[in-house]
Amino acid sequence: MSDFKFGLVHAPLTPFADDRIDYDTYGKTIDFHLRNGAEGLALPMHAGESVSLTAEERKALAEFAITRVGARAPVIVNVSEAGTAIASSLAEHARKAGAAALICSVPYYWTPPQHMLVEHFAAVGQAGGLPFFVLNSPAEFSGVEFASKSVVELLGKLPHFVGLIDMSLDWQYMIEVLTVARAARPDFQLVSGNEYLISAAAIGATGLLSPLASISPQLVRRLYDLCRAENYKAARAPQEDAAILFRLFRDAGPAGLKAAAKALGRNCGPPRDPLPALTDTAMRALEAEICRIQSVNSEPHGWI
Amino acid sequence: MTLVLKGVMQSPVTPLKDDFSPDYETFERLVDFHVRTGATAISWPHHKAESHNLTIAERKKLAEAAINAVNKRVPISIHVSALALEDTFELARHAQESGADAIIAITPYFWKYPPEAIYDYFVKLGTSIELPLIAYNSPSYLDGIEFTGEITARLIQRLPNFIGMKEASFNSEKFLEILRAAQPLRPQFAMIAGVEYLLPSVSLGGSGSYSSAGAICPNLCVELYESCVAGEWDRARAAQYKLSELWLLFRDQYPSSLKGGCVIMGRPVGPTRPPLPTASPERVKFIEKRLIELGIVDSEPHGW
Repeated sequence: MSDFKFGLVHAPLTPFADDRIDYDTYGKTIDFHLRNGAEGLALPMHAGESVSLTAEERKALAEFAITRVGARAPVIVNVSEAGTAIASSLAEHARKAGAAALICSVPYYWTPPQHMLVEHFAAVGQAGGLPFFVLNSPAEFSGVEFASKSVVELLGKLPHFVGLIDMSLDWQYMIEVLTVARAARPDFQLVSGNEYLISAAAIGATGLLSPLASISPQLVRRLYDLCRAENYKAARAPQEDAAILFRLFRDAGPAGLKAAAKALGRNCGPPRDPLPALTDTAMRALEAEICRIQSVNSEPHGWI
Repeated sequence: MTLVLKGVMQSPVTPLKDDFSPDYETFERLVDFHVRTGATAISWPHHKAESHNLTIAERKKLAEAAINAVNKRVPISIHVSALALEDTFELARHAQESGADAIIAITPYFWKYPPEAIYDYFVKLGTSIELPLIAYNSPSYLDGIEFTGEITARLIQRLPNFIGMKEASFNSEKFLEILRAAQPLRPQFAMIAGVEYLLPSVSLGGSGSYSSAGAICPNLCVELYESCVAGEWDRARAAQYKLSELWLLFRDQYPSSLKGGCVIMGRPVGPTRPPLPTASPERVKFIEKRLIELGIVDSEPHGW
């Protein structure tokens, strides 16, 4: 029912000034991504501190981004929430605002059983009425995984459930999901939710949702293009750099991404509470680590 | 240390008579079957060979039988891990005296210990013999006990006979972490996937895998490895998806169902020792149905 193809999607940071969303800088951030290899934007993801934004802020952010992007690229809105009704209202709003697709993780906090996950996704997906991607990230959600049998169940309930974004990195899971999902929907999409792309692409992932694109958009583009061409030998070098960055920023989170972006001439302000900004010492250590990665030195500096 | 591991290596099950005693005649026949149908190496007794259900005396006697049956046609490694480390060291000495080409050992069972204990253990094991040593990483079966890249690198620097790792996390991040640490120090270091997860591992720089289903479908195993090495990814995906379905079929109460499947293929290997169940006639019927659906019965050798 949908022709929406995920492709290479960047997950921008959300800039703050005086604890308010800094739209001036957000506009520049959006333009930066579109000039540097993004085929679409997903927002606000965890890299964009989605969890620290109120529902009203998330709606305003989506409207701003969709207007700013215009016809240049699709905007995919993340509607992940703890409560089904709140997520549904974000989804409905995203459609009215002109989003191209939706992303939804398992509900925060509750660790629901599988049948509740299916009901949650079905309700949010129906409220949105847009191409719908489930985000599977067991490590971030107390081990709750969207099981392959639930993928099939949801496909039966939600015709525009078009793909799964995987952050588990688990080969067994990805193959299992594609096996059962493509039996029900041959064009079902697997998207890699982080930059470990080689194995996922070999398995059949066709999209990449990239939080590291804030720092290394060219590296991510190179990795994506080589993997899409199935030239995995050549993809090894960018994959290894991406793996180093992934490690660094898994520990440092959005605060680390913001510190690195600032070092690269794109100041997005501090992270919002409760996340502390990096201390000067931690910032210098991070900068030193990043500068040791060859490819980072050829990445764009400033808002170009 | 010229042993270089690659391709699909077979780890035979342990055939048992109806009274659960080892069936040496069938064991030799099975080892010979694997060698004739494309195994690039033999390794015994992995967990699927019910290593934990065999006495140390039985393991020694069967190891000798396996080494004789292989008769130097391909390399053979002996899995020496036992609950008590004293037994492990004893099995390692015995493997060396009996003419094995290598030993393989997992991180010690059951106990929770700091990462440094993994390093100390493998140094002790690796220096107790002259044979090449393969380490075995399986965090999901050992409650998160696992190798890191750092420990792997230090062991490579300490042990000239440390030649490879069976890496059974099925996880892109862990696999690449160890591979990146190992290969700059020892370019021939073999990263071997657990089960036949060759599509996501060879694309990432892996050398091959130990096999789960080789006694059922040796042709499919060879097909998968060759298509991965040739970079024929569509062919590789077709083979990988089929093998993954077989893994789901056999993973449950491993290796009971696998032994049940051997009956269908005309290569009966007897029951499974308790506490594992022996596949019931109904279970064997179900396995037969799946093997027919997947086209295995028609495309793989029947009988010995």
